Amino acid sequence: MIINHPLLGPRDSEEFVYLGAADLINRPSNWEHDASAEDFYQYQYIRENVAGDHRELWYHEQGDQSWLVVTRNTLSHEIINVELAQDVSRGIGRGK
Amino acid sequence: MSDYELVVESALDGAEHEFEGVTVSEVVGKSLVMVALPRSKFTEIESSMTKSCGLSLPGMERSTQSKDSSITLWRLQKNQVLAYFSYEGNDAEVNIANRLNAPAYYTDQSDTWAMIRVNGPRSRDVLERICPIDLSKNVFSVGNVSRTIMEHIGTIIYRDDDDSYVLLTMRSFGVSMLHAIEVSAKNVL
Repeated sequence: MIINHPLLGPRDSEEFVYLGAADLINRPSNWEHDASAEDFYQYQYIRENVAGDHRELWYHEQGDQSWLVVTRNTLSHEIINVELAQDVSRGIGRGK
Repeated sequence: MSDYELVVESALDGAEHEFEGVTVSEVVGKSLVMVALPRSKFTEIESSMTKSCGLSLPGMERSTQSKDSSITLWRLQKNQVLAYFSYEGNDAEVNIANRLNAPAYYTDQSDTWAMIRVNGPRSRDVLERICPIDLSKNVFSVGNVSRTIMEHIGTIIYRDDDDSYVLLTMRSFGVSMLHAIEVSAKNVL
């Protein structure tokens, strides 16, 4: 499987480590509120089991050590889109 | 003061092997220092380096050279460069910090890497069996540098001339990497 890195071009997936769904970027920020237990439960454990396009986090460990958000079709393994996780995170108004 | 002195030993004991069309040899006489670039100081660092040695910050997976060609910078990550330069002393970190004269953070990595040069007209034939990166002449051009894996171990590859590649791997893996390159050479040539 080839991942088309936004900065480095096409690289073998062997260089990467897979983490899981890209939802992990959305860490709840209300940790001091009573409702946060439920939010963190959702954040930590509840995942969609998608049969189709799935956004997920990959880490370029044997490369430039960047985190990527890869959109992959779980049925065909086709990779539809690759973005820097940093850009995705900033795009939704999160910090650095 | 101690009454003994540590003597530098190269990782591969100066190994050099000739094959038909390819020479595999250890790179000696070079030092390697990581230069970490704090995000807020990119511009300041670049202008200091330009002033002191005529160096600019390279783009991702590219390299730049100082005016006298003695220092090469490799950009393998956004927030750091590796300085690859001719120097044999024990204080490479101080030496490069003084030469660049830029407000970055320096870490000497010279002795932690084994450096192997593969050169000759058939070098690409030997490397393509162990390197997952496209080494075609026009894709991986002179001055390109990449960090990837070879033999399942993190390896840096740098093209410093038309038919010349420098491979860096962790020192403890150096002998095995040399072996892997030689096996590839024997299989191909």
